[in-house]
Amino acid sequence: MSATLTLDALTKTFDGAAHPAVDAVSFTVAAGECLAILGPSGSGKSTVLRSIAGLDVPSSGRILVDGTEVAGLAPERRGMAMVFQRPLLFPHLSVLDNVAFAGTVAGQPRREARADAAQFLDLVQLGGFGSRAVTALSGGQEQRVALARALAARPRVLLLDEPFSALDPALRTDMHELLAQIRAQLNPTVVMVTHDRDEAAVVADTVALLTAGRLLQHDSVPRLYSRPASLAVSRLMGGRNEVEGTVSEGVHYSALGAIAAPEGEQWPDGVGVLVVRQEALRLGEPLPGEAGVRGVVAASALRGPRAHVVVDVNGAALECETAAISAPEVGTEVTVSIPLAGCAVLAA
Amino acid sequence: MLETPGPGGALPTRPRASASGRLRALLFVAPAVLIAGFVVIGGIGVALVQSVGLMPLVGEAEFSLDAYTANADDLLTGLGLSLAIATASTVLSCVIGLTAAVIITQGRISGRVVAALSALTIPVPHLIGAAAIGLLVADSGLIPRALGLTPAQWPDLVGGPWWVAVVLEYTWKESAFVALVVAGVLATRVAQYDETAALLGASRARRLRHVVIPLARPAVIVSAVIIFVYTFGSYEVAWLLGRPYPEPLPVLAFRLFTSISLTSRPEAAAVAVVTTAVALIVVAIGMAALKRTPLWR
Repeated sequence: MSATLTLDALTKTFDGAAHPAVDAVSFTVAAGECLAILGPSGSGKSTVLRSIAGLDVPSSGRILVDGTEVAGLAPERRGMAMVFQRPLLFPHLSVLDNVAFAGTVAGQPRREARADAAQFLDLVQLGGFGSRAVTALSGGQEQRVALARALAARPRVLLLDEPFSALDPALRTDMHELLAQIRAQLNPTVVMVTHDRDEAAVVADTVALLTAGRLLQHDSVPRLYSRPASLAVSRLMGGRNEVEGTVSEGVHYSALGAIAAPEGEQWPDGVGVLVVRQEALRLGEPLPGEAGVRGVVAASALRGPRAHVVVDVNGAALECETAAISAPEVGTEVTVSIPLAGCAVLAA
Repeated sequence: MLETPGPGGALPTRPRASASGRLRALLFVAPAVLIAGFVVIGGIGVALVQSVGLMPLVGEAEFSLDAYTANADDLLTGLGLSLAIATASTVLSCVIGLTAAVIITQGRISGRVVAALSALTIPVPHLIGAAAIGLLVADSGLIPRALGLTPAQWPDLVGGPWWVAVVLEYTWKESAFVALVVAGVLATRVAQYDETAALLGASRARRLRHVVIPLARPAVIVSAVIIFVYTFGSYEVAWLLGRPYPEPLPVLAFRLFTSISLTSRPEAAAVAVVTTAVALIVVAIGMAALKRTPLWR
C-alpha cells in the first residue's frame, strides 16, 4: 500500500495562461512517508496533486511511482486514491457500499467487498454505520467515510486535497489523530495539500513549500521553521523577525550586537538578514546557548492565551511570543533571550 | 473562534408567516389555481359525467356504461396500440437521450454538437416534425428517392403495421428533451463524482454503470413519465403518420367526438376518460419509482 513517489521538473501551464501554474517542481516522497504540500491559495498545490492523480495532464516533467513513469496512464490505472475537501460520497449508495466501491468496481463479489469495507469502517471508528444513508452523517463522519473509501482502494499513494479544511477545529484535531493512527497501522505513502502551516506541521514528515507554482523548499518541519532557505520561506512560514546586518567570520553584527552562527552552520561573509522565530525568543535572562539583548517593549497585542510583544532593541524590532498572563506592559525595559540554535542568516 | 452549529446542530427556525401574509399569498396564487383547476378537474369531470350518460346531447339523463361498451373492441385495441406506441417511444427516447446526455457532459466538441442539436430540436412543433418525418421516410419520400428505391422496395414506415414513423417522430423529439434535462442534472454534480470514482479504480464503463446512470436515474424517471403521458395522449402525429385502422386512443376519441352520430359524444368522452385514467396510473407508478430511488429520499 506504499510506494515511492518522485516528481521530476513537473510543469503545468493552463491554456491561455501567461505563467505556468506549476513550474518545474521536483521532490521525492519515500514509501510510507507523509508529505504536505503547503502554500497559499493559487500557489499551484492542488494542480500538483491533480497531476499526480492523472486528473490534469502536465505540460512537461515526469511523475514516477516506484521508479516507473505513470504519464499516459488513466487515473483509474494509477493506483492512487484521493480525498477532496468535500467528501463526495456517492449519494445513491449506503455508507458501507461507498467504502466497498473500489472492491465492487474491481469485480470483487459483493459480499467480499462489503466484508472488506466493514474493516475499513472500523478503522475510521465508524463500525456499525454501514447501513446508513450518507445523508445521515455529520460533516466529520462523512470525511471519515471518504478516508475509509480511499484506503479500501489500497492506493499506492494516498492523495489528500485539503480534506479537513471544512471541519471545525475540534473535528480537525480528531482527524489528525485518526490519520496518525492510520499511518501507524497501514503505513501508506501520503501526499496532502494544505494551506494550514499548523496542520502540515502536525500531520507531515516533510513539507514542500510552494508559491506561485515554484517549490521554495522541501524539508522536515523543524528545519522549515528554523532553517528557512530564503526570506520568502521564512515569511510564508509566519516568521516575523528579520534583522539586517553583516556577517564576518561566522558572526552576524547588527543592532542586536554580535550573534554567532550555531555549531555546524556556515554563514557566508557579507550583508545578511538574521531571522529567528518569535516563538523561540524568551523574555528573561539568557541561559547557556542563548544571547541576551536589552530593549524596551514597544507594543503588545493579546492573541487569546498568547501575547505578541514587540521589543525595540537599538532601533531593531524583535517580536516575541509569550504567555498573555506574563506579558510586560508597553515601555517596560526587558531582556530578550535569543537561542543561537534558532538563528539563521539569509540573503536580503 | 466562535462555535458554529455542527451538521447535527439546531438550525434557526424560520419566522412563521402571519395570517394576513398567508391570505395575501393565497390571493396571489388563486387565479392560477382556479384556471388550472377549472380546466383539469372541470374537463375531466365533464368527460366523466358525459361518458356515463348524465349529460346527453338529447333525451333524459340516465346513468349507463353504454358509452364504454359500445366500442369495446376498438377501445381495447386502441388501448393496446397506444400503450405500445408510448412504451416504445419512451424507452427509445430515454436510452438515446441518456446516451446523448452522457456525451454532452463529457465536455468535448462532440458534446457541444449534440447539445446544439438537442436544443434546436426542442422548439420544433410535433406537427412540423411529423410532416418532416413523413416527407423523409414515406415510400415516396426523400430517403427512398435518394437511395433510388421504388416504393415496393421500401418498408411501410408511414402507415405501416408497426407504426415506425410515429415512434420515430416521438423518439426524435423526446430524446432531445431527455438529453437536455438529464445533461442539466449531470452537469452540476457528475464531474467530481466521476473523478472520485476514477481514482477509486473504476473504468469508464464501470463509472457509467455505478455512478453516472444512478445519479441520472431520478431525472430519467421524471422525463419518462412526461414522455409516456404525452405520447399516450397525443393525437396529431399518430393521425398523420399512422394507418387508418386500428386507431390509437386519442385518434379514436377525436374521430368519435367529431362524428355526426348523437351517441358518439359520450363514447368519445369514455375514450378520453380511459386515456386519462391510464395516464394517471402511469404518473402514480412513476412517482412510486421515484420515491424508491435513494437519491430522492
